[in-house]
Amino acid sequence: MNAELSELRDSARQVLAAEGLAAPEDKTWPLALDLGWLLVAVPEAQGGLGQGLAGACAFHAEMGRSLCAAPYLPAMLAMEAAIHAGREDWIERLGASGFVTAPLVDPTLTITDGGIVAGMASAVPSADRASHVLLGSEAGDCVALVALQQAGIDARHRETWDTTRRLFDLRFDNVAGDPSLVLARGNDAHVLSRRLATHRDFALAADAVGGAATALEMTVEYLKTRRQFGRPLALFQALKHRCADLKARIAAAEALLADSLVRVGTEVDSERAEALGKAAKSFAVSAYAAVAEEMLQLHGGIGMTAEHACHLFLKRALLDEQLGRCTSYELDVADTLLGAG
Amino acid sequence: MSQAPEALRTEVRAWLQNNIPRDWRAAMTGTDQDAFVRAQREWFGKLVKAGYATPHWPEGWPGGGRSLAEQKIIYEEVARADAPRLILFFVALYHAACTLIEWGTDEQKRAHLPGILDGKLWCQGFSEPNAGSDLAAVRTRAELRGDRYVINGQKIWSTLAQHADYCLLLVRTDTAGPPQAGLTYLLLDMRSKGVSVRPIAQITGDDEFSEIFLDDVEVPVSDRVGGEGQGWAVAQSTLASERGLTLVELSHRMRYALNRITGLMRARGVAGDAALRRDLGRLAPKVDAACALADQYLLKRIENTEAPGDASIVKLHYARTLRDFTALGLRIAGLQGQYREPFIRGGGMETGNWPFDFMNSYNWTIAGGSDEIQRNIIAERMLGMPREPKDWRL
Repeated sequence: MNAELSELRDSARQVLAAEGLAAPEDKTWPLALDLGWLLVAVPEAQGGLGQGLAGACAFHAEMGRSLCAAPYLPAMLAMEAAIHAGREDWIERLGASGFVTAPLVDPTLTITDGGIVAGMASAVPSADRASHVLLGSEAGDCVALVALQQAGIDARHRETWDTTRRLFDLRFDNVAGDPSLVLARGNDAHVLSRRLATHRDFALAADAVGGAATALEMTVEYLKTRRQFGRPLALFQALKHRCADLKARIAAAEALLADSLVRVGTEVDSERAEALGKAAKSFAVSAYAAVAEEMLQLHGGIGMTAEHACHLFLKRALLDEQLGRCTSYELDVADTLLGAG
Repeated sequence: MSQAPEALRTEVRAWLQNNIPRDWRAAMTGTDQDAFVRAQREWFGKLVKAGYATPHWPEGWPGGGRSLAEQKIIYEEVARADAPRLILFFVALYHAACTLIEWGTDEQKRAHLPGILDGKLWCQGFSEPNAGSDLAAVRTRAELRGDRYVINGQKIWSTLAQHADYCLLLVRTDTAGPPQAGLTYLLLDMRSKGVSVRPIAQITGDDEFSEIFLDDVEVPVSDRVGGEGQGWAVAQSTLASERGLTLVELSHRMRYALNRITGLMRARGVAGDAALRRDLGRLAPKVDAACALADQYLLKRIENTEAPGDASIVKLHYARTLRDFTALGLRIAGLQGQYREPFIRGGGMETGNWPFDFMNSYNWTIAGGSDEIQRNIIAERMLGMPREPKDWRL
């Protein structure tokens, strides 16, 4: 991580820590906008920080670390799309005040040549606050922004166990898109879709390693203070070893993520980047879930209470596992190594 | 990366291609220790000549004065080429040489460093039956009589000591005070009177380790490294001498060896088995993570940003992944894997003799600080969890 980025990252960490864990969207989203966090991956020539995907991931990790409720991830996907479709107008708009959301799983919809959108997009964060949604057709041949305030769109909030995200189902009943908002078609759209899916997987990996790190820190802190049998729980080797294993697992996920980001470099739209993102994401979210499960167990009864933060980590971890491209990645890896089964 | 490192990589790759002993795995299958030692000496000679055996030595020695980044390239290429590991010479090249370079007198360096390049073999005499993970509990006594120490005791788990010319010996010169403070570090000539070595038969069928019995063995005071009572500090630099390079090499070897698993699945006709495919798919990113951890750890050493516990994480993750790797091979091998086949001597951690590899993987979860010790280190030094009070005794 370069010095500029780590400085930005540290200041974001401080700001988010001051807001507290799982700080609400209406407090943290304005911060993200005001402090320029959406510009981290925008090239310097276009007024951004030019830190690329690795820079974006440093911020995604901070969102995870603080269980941030701001819809930073979908907004960054929209920004990535604007950057790579060469839409300076949208880069400016998204960086300044506009919010465009995007589904966190692949939508099942079609976009005709005439721009008619039909189908469904699930897991769309904070859609009620967004002016537009970034959509890719299932066939991968079109990526477009679609205005949300129009007839034929049914937006339904779906309450999730994870209260740090507000997800919507969007149903499109032959909605007429705006041709000027089509960002890519044909092969360009395939490449852009892959880029966006890759960014999404890496972002989820970063969210997971950030969340897992906080979860373990809080658990260790609790074990150091909680006393039973006349001694702090942290003195029991059985518990120390479990924490050490979790630490090693998080470190492995962080190392894989960092290594993969280096390998990807600027070729975020390559097939290799896509595979690396999937692996990094799967590895990280399963580590996050494991840490969050242990966090609750190691906190004992207090971890079962709604007022303690344990469940927030567990629920965000369990949701992270289901976002991105969660089709059995182990089998994809086996396909790569062995050929299709 | 600048041009120079890539040039080194190309050079090493070409050299290895032309110089690796052909079919060395086949030649080392079912062979005896003597043939293994001959083969290792031959390979060592070639590497010394090319300057690839001692890139970590100071400038002036063959190939010496290489940066850690350059050393890493050499190890990556050795792994990529599936070259034989120089295990017979490891203690000499790293433990002995680095300890002498850091702590030795000029006379000691003159006496021993050239000999290492000529093929003198060294072994490590640290562990004892009652001082394994708890190394500070060393009990082998050294009593100063005039200008010599007289030594009595027993060492164990000494790799390939049966072939060694010299031994890095950790002994107790003082029983008062904290246990670390009473240790002293000596260079022992294995031909000295009173030294006897007994190889230990291992569960793998190999006999890589030995016990060393020391019965009134005399060592001149001039063969002491560091001062009396400084043995613990000297031993720490011995143990740190390879600086993470071994796990770079081994984790990269494990990644290349994934094709042994896929090859086995095809050969056994189970390449389509969904459960095995899933296990393979789970293992491969873990192996990638092991490589990433080892690479990033080395980078930290290069940049001097290593933190306490970093090395423990690399080792713990590698050791657990190696166990998973070999266990998967063992399971795929099925009943066929249970029929005893000759093993490959010095063949590394993934030889394809799956029961051998599986049992050999315990080397990494037990030796060099067991997984349990690594977990203590991670918990106490990284996570800041309290140490057990020293006076807890049952």
